[in-house]
Amino acid sequence: MLIYCVIGVAALISILLSKSHNSMTVISVLQSSLSLGVTAYFILYRSLPVYYLSNRYFFMDHLGLYETLITWLIFLLTSIYASGYMKHLIVLNRFKKENLKMFYFAFNLLPINIMFAFFSNNLALFWVFTELTTLVSAVLIVLPNAKDNIIIALNYIFIASTAMLFSFIGLILLFGLTKNSTGTGTLNWDSLLSIVPSISSSVLALSIIFIFIGFATKSGIAPFHTWLPHAHAKAPSIVSTLLSAVLLNVGIYGIIRVYALVVHTPAARIISVIFFIFGLFTIAVAALTMFSQKTIKKFIAYSSIENMGLILVGIAIGTPLAMFWILFHTLAHSISKALLFFSAEVIQEQHEGLIIGEMSDVLRLQPFSSFCLIIGSLTVIGIPLFPVFLSKMGIVLELANVSYILLSISVILFFIVASAFSVVLMDIFSEKSSDDEDLPVRNATPLTIVLPMVILIALIFILGVFIPQNLNDLLIKIVSQLGI
Amino acid sequence: MNDSTFVFYIIFNLFFAVIISPFFMSLIKKVKAYCQGRKGPQLFQTYYNLMKLMKKEVVYSSTSSNIMRITPYINIVVILLSSICVPLVFIPQSSGSGFGNIILFLYLLALAKFFMALSGLDAGSTFGSMGSSREMTISAVFEPVIIIVFAALAFVMNTADIYRMFTNSVNSSMPFLNPIKFLNSISLFIILIVETSRCPVDNPETHLELTMIHEAMLLENTGKNLALMELSHAIKQTLLMALLINLIIPYGLITTLTFTGVILGAFSFFVKASIVSVIVGVLESSIAKSRLFRLPILFMMVFFFSFLTILFEVFLK
Amino acid sequence: MINFPYEGILSALFVLVLVTAAFILTRRNILSLFTNYAMQSLFIAIIALILFLKENSVTLLVLSILTFATRVLIIPYVIKKIQKLMRIRRDVSFHYLTPISSLIVSIVLIISIYYSFYKFAANLSLAGVSYLGSTLGISLTFIGMLVIFSRKKAITKIVGYLVMENGVLLFSLFFSELPLIVEILIILDLIMLILIAAILAFGIDSTLEEFHQKINPLQKWVKEKF
Repeated sequence: MLIYCVIGVAALISILLSKSHNSMTVISVLQSSLSLGVTAYFILYRSLPVYYLSNRYFFMDHLGLYETLITWLIFLLTSIYASGYMKHLIVLNRFKKENLKMFYFAFNLLPINIMFAFFSNNLALFWVFTELTTLVSAVLIVLPNAKDNIIIALNYIFIASTAMLFSFIGLILLFGLTKNSTGTGTLNWDSLLSIVPSISSSVLALSIIFIFIGFATKSGIAPFHTWLPHAHAKAPSIVSTLLSAVLLNVGIYGIIRVYALVVHTPAARIISVIFFIFGLFTIAVAALTMFSQKTIKKFIAYSSIENMGLILVGIAIGTPLAMFWILFHTLAHSISKALLFFSAEVIQEQHEGLIIGEMSDVLRLQPFSSFCLIIGSLTVIGIPLFPVFLSKMGIVLELANVSYILLSISVILFFIVASAFSVVLMDIFSEKSSDDEDLPVRNATPLTIVLPMVILIALIFILGVFIPQNLNDLLIKIVSQLGI
Repeated sequence: MNDSTFVFYIIFNLFFAVIISPFFMSLIKKVKAYCQGRKGPQLFQTYYNLMKLMKKEVVYSSTSSNIMRITPYINIVVILLSSICVPLVFIPQSSGSGFGNIILFLYLLALAKFFMALSGLDAGSTFGSMGSSREMTISAVFEPVIIIVFAALAFVMNTADIYRMFTNSVNSSMPFLNPIKFLNSISLFIILIVETSRCPVDNPETHLELTMIHEAMLLENTGKNLALMELSHAIKQTLLMALLINLIIPYGLITTLTFTGVILGAFSFFVKASIVSVIVGVLESSIAKSRLFRLPILFMMVFFFSFLTILFEVFLK
Repeated sequence: MINFPYEGILSALFVLVLVTAAFILTRRNILSLFTNYAMQSLFIAIIALILFLKENSVTLLVLSILTFATRVLIIPYVIKKIQKLMRIRRDVSFHYLTPISSLIVSIVLIISIYYSFYKFAANLSLAGVSYLGSTLGISLTFIGMLVIFSRKKAITKIVGYLVMENGVLLFSLFFSELPLIVEILIILDLIMLILIAAILAFGIDSTLEEFHQKINPLQKWVKEKF
């Protein structure tokens, strides 16, 4: 883990010292690719889990490394995209050059922060890092467009921090309970795994519910999701990608860890029921609200909420196979969401200030990005040949083992989501101006913007067709380590 | 033995209350005057005022009815009755008379207030009816608060009998160090301020229409009637002060009847009540009268406060 | 003082803490909000001190001193400075709950939390005052949430969040203490959060903007008429 700290600190310091935009871009790309390589190396060649610090507050295990892998991958692609995008913003005078340094500082700080959260063994430390991610991401939301985004960022900070306080109460409850069972209390996750069976299940369930509230808000589970559509829609596209594809994973990671604690205790039953209720409610809210959205990015944000609801339902099922598909789904969702946001931003920039119904000639003006948008939508819905199909199918099949009613409700909701997507896509692409009207000038899409999308499409097609053996083994190892 | 002691107690308490109450009224006025930088009236001014009023002719408005004529008498009688409920110096054995009940005390005061409000309406002038309606609004909101405070008191002291409460106080050592009782005394102090219509609830020295509440109801009374109303107001203030003082600083209260005890007790009550009057005066000078519609919020705070006190007392048992 | 009346003093302090919370819930003057918050943190620091005298654990002493230093001195000072820049004095509008109804709701909350916690925590080893302190911590958190919901200005919402944090601190004092390093990290996190939130709130609440927004329609009307 020391390597990560060294890379991170070096990157941050060099951003503070750097002078030009290009150098900052290069530094972030360098940092992300180095960290990505280090992560891959750890996954493939290190024997895990490894503990750090004498009181075992930090550790690296398979789940943490897997999530870190996703984080750095998305971050790498985003920093490549960022160079072209920020240049575009500066040219349009929507972003001041003085803020660039602070923006890139926060931009590079965020993955490091998230990585530390993934590597914390101690739940209280995880809580602290999650709170810090709220702050850093709020700074990222505010910086580009302060006037409009301040209210959104403040709303985000309040809702997230308030819910995290409830989560903290749950953590204190858990700590007190472990102190009752053994002599000294502990919040280390691996020690908790062995202590938890000896705690009475009603208070355990209460504390888990409290903890769940905080992390559910962070990942956008309804009814705590109210901050999400605005924050993800109004933020610039690179920040939206990080928020949707990476930050939501932090909350889900917390929920997975906490669920793994109770899965073999009698409290698991009531916790599963609660997760089911919240998950299905989330999918329902997202599916039904999607129809009335007017901007593409808000629409995609609601799709994120729906996916998080799906993941929560999958966690609630609680079988090893469901957990396997959940973990695969986080990867699939991050990739497809990144692709969606990248292409949506290009289209949005081309047709500035227009809502969905008013955009015309989308396909003609930006063919590549439109194509990417369509592929991303197909992926997120779950069409076969794309990775989300595999995970959705797996979860739905597992759901059939639990209850047929839930199965039918969720399948109906998935169809509603699919139809919402098709309605929106038809709305976007169906307007065409007649041949003698002048087309607006086409925005240039430099290589730095196109390249990440190409890589993402390649990843999607590969993952949709087969799961690499390494990935398969990794996921199986994670599930067994969680003890599910 | 018990009965004669009780009779003696009644007579003594009544006379003591009647004699000493006007002094505290003028003490408060003097303290307020000093705070405002002037000398203020003499300490015995209220006695002179009352005696002057007694000699004056009583004039009734032509549109007033019998209520106007009997209210001052009802007032003074009821207030004197309630002064039996609160021992100032000497605590009698609770002779089964039921007089010490705190709820009885509360509702005797409420009866007096009711008749005062009626007499304010009676003359048909706008000042009077305005004062009555305002006073009744405040009372309606404040009554639950008083009940909760008295209930908290009853919970803390384990009895609803004022005599027994005072006896408990005398017998316990350093009651003012008990935190719950201290909190109760804060609530009782606020009740004192509200019931005697002092700032921030009402300004007792104003006669402007905008700000009058209590004074407006007294406006139509003249001569002897006015003297009686003023005297009953003063006695009510003394009784509420006594409730506050004797609960937390019961030094000087005696339970057995001795001559020196009575003298010392009277003197100590005099000193303690003067201190409380000074505190009331200083407080009145430092706070402005608050707006009428902001008063319910203040009362709600007192309610919350006393409610918490009961809650804690109950929950800790 | 052999028989130091711990329970009595602790319950009196609890009442005072809740009363300051009630003040924050109902007052409209913004400066009084900060003073009330400082007093509340002071009472909680004193509670921690008394617990230290009772249980003799150094963590409590350090926690008490830290609470005093950050929540009574530093945070109110920072917020007051920012409020001076903002130049607002009063937060007049109440959103869903008037002051009176919010007090009634908080009374109902305190009672219901007491009884539901009782049902859940039948097998927790909590004696009288500790149990009362824990439930009061949770109720203080909920009262803080009420403050956030029933007020419109961002600066009041920040104070509401601070009250929630106080509630969590109170709960942790009585339920079980976390190791010291965690408490320190949480305090640092709190300070950063307040800084950033206050800076953002300054952007929103600044009265200059409101002034211009109000003046604008008037200017347009004047131009139309004359």
